[in-house]
Amino acid sequence: MNSAHLSSGMGEHAVVITRVAERQWHAVEDDRVVGRGDTARRPDGRIFLSVDAWHDAVFDQLADAMLADLPKPLYTVVDEADLDLTSNWERAGFTTRRREWEYLVPTDPRVTGLGSVSPPSGVTMVAVGEAEEGPLRELDRVIRHEVEATVGWQEMPAEVLPRPDGATLLDPSKYAVAAQSDEYVGLVRVGPVIRQPRIGLIAVRSDQHRRGIARALLAHVLGSLHRCGIETASADVNESNKGAMALFEGVGARRASSNLELVLR
Amino acid sequence: MARAADGIEVEGTVIECLRNATFRVELQNGHKVLAHISGKIRKNYIKILPYDRVLVELSPYDLNRGRILFRYRT
Repeated sequence: MNSAHLSSGMGEHAVVITRVAERQWHAVEDDRVVGRGDTARRPDGRIFLSVDAWHDAVFDQLADAMLADLPKPLYTVVDEADLDLTSNWERAGFTTRRREWEYLVPTDPRVTGLGSVSPPSGVTMVAVGEAEEGPLRELDRVIRHEVEATVGWQEMPAEVLPRPDGATLLDPSKYAVAAQSDEYVGLVRVGPVIRQPRIGLIAVRSDQHRRGIARALLAHVLGSLHRCGIETASADVNESNKGAMALFEGVGARRASSNLELVLR
Repeated sequence: MARAADGIEVEGTVIECLRNATFRVELQNGHKVLAHISGKIRKNYIKILPYDRVLVELSPYDLNRGRILFRYRT
């Protein structure tokens, strides 16, 4: 694919926008790429855009070309602190759909107050990397169905989106779980990011809510990280998920940044 | 330092996270630049932290500015 889309002057030289591949656009000035646009289709079918340009005028031209070619709705993600980029997308017609806070979560039990937290009666914690794959996949399947039937995938972080064919790719080495009798009832996923591990998901089966299992899982993984010498983990939480925000803020987590998901309908 | 078809790409180390979603990156030659993260990194929720080794594309208009294209596993 190599169709020149449009061109216009920027300063002394013309910038030509070209769709160079199914999901990629280039802005070229004097045979030099001065801007790029990309799309990615998430497993839930939504199309996310990104544009990198050194000048706002080139951003606008790339965005115009992409919006003309692509079916709506279209989405993008910006750091809320990046006022210039946010403004660029708003100029293209995008509006805020939701906000995710990035929390920095202390691990020290003296700070979190989780040192004395124990699992509820009959529930035991299985450490990260020690969960059995079969029961973990079953719990993952149950939780995904519950998400689908309630808040829906559009409210979940990208990393826990469903796979198109319904099959999930679980890496048991990244999960700690809460076990009860012969099944798992809750899980927490810990991304092994060096220096600042990432808590990607905490979820408990709906019939086990309000027993303190999520808090016990959090106490378990934060305590483990602290014993490994790691002082802080990170977690992204949807602003509308009041329960999750209360869980993290209750252990002393503080908001460090925020991402906005923007949409053009 | 590599001269890519679409820009000058250099490796560096993040030394500071600044406001407005920018980072101060020290390049291998000791030069320091202000860099944003690329759209692809942002779309994939890849976190950039101090001491991360990164690949930076320098702006052809201002060699003190750049864009972080890639975070190396360290």
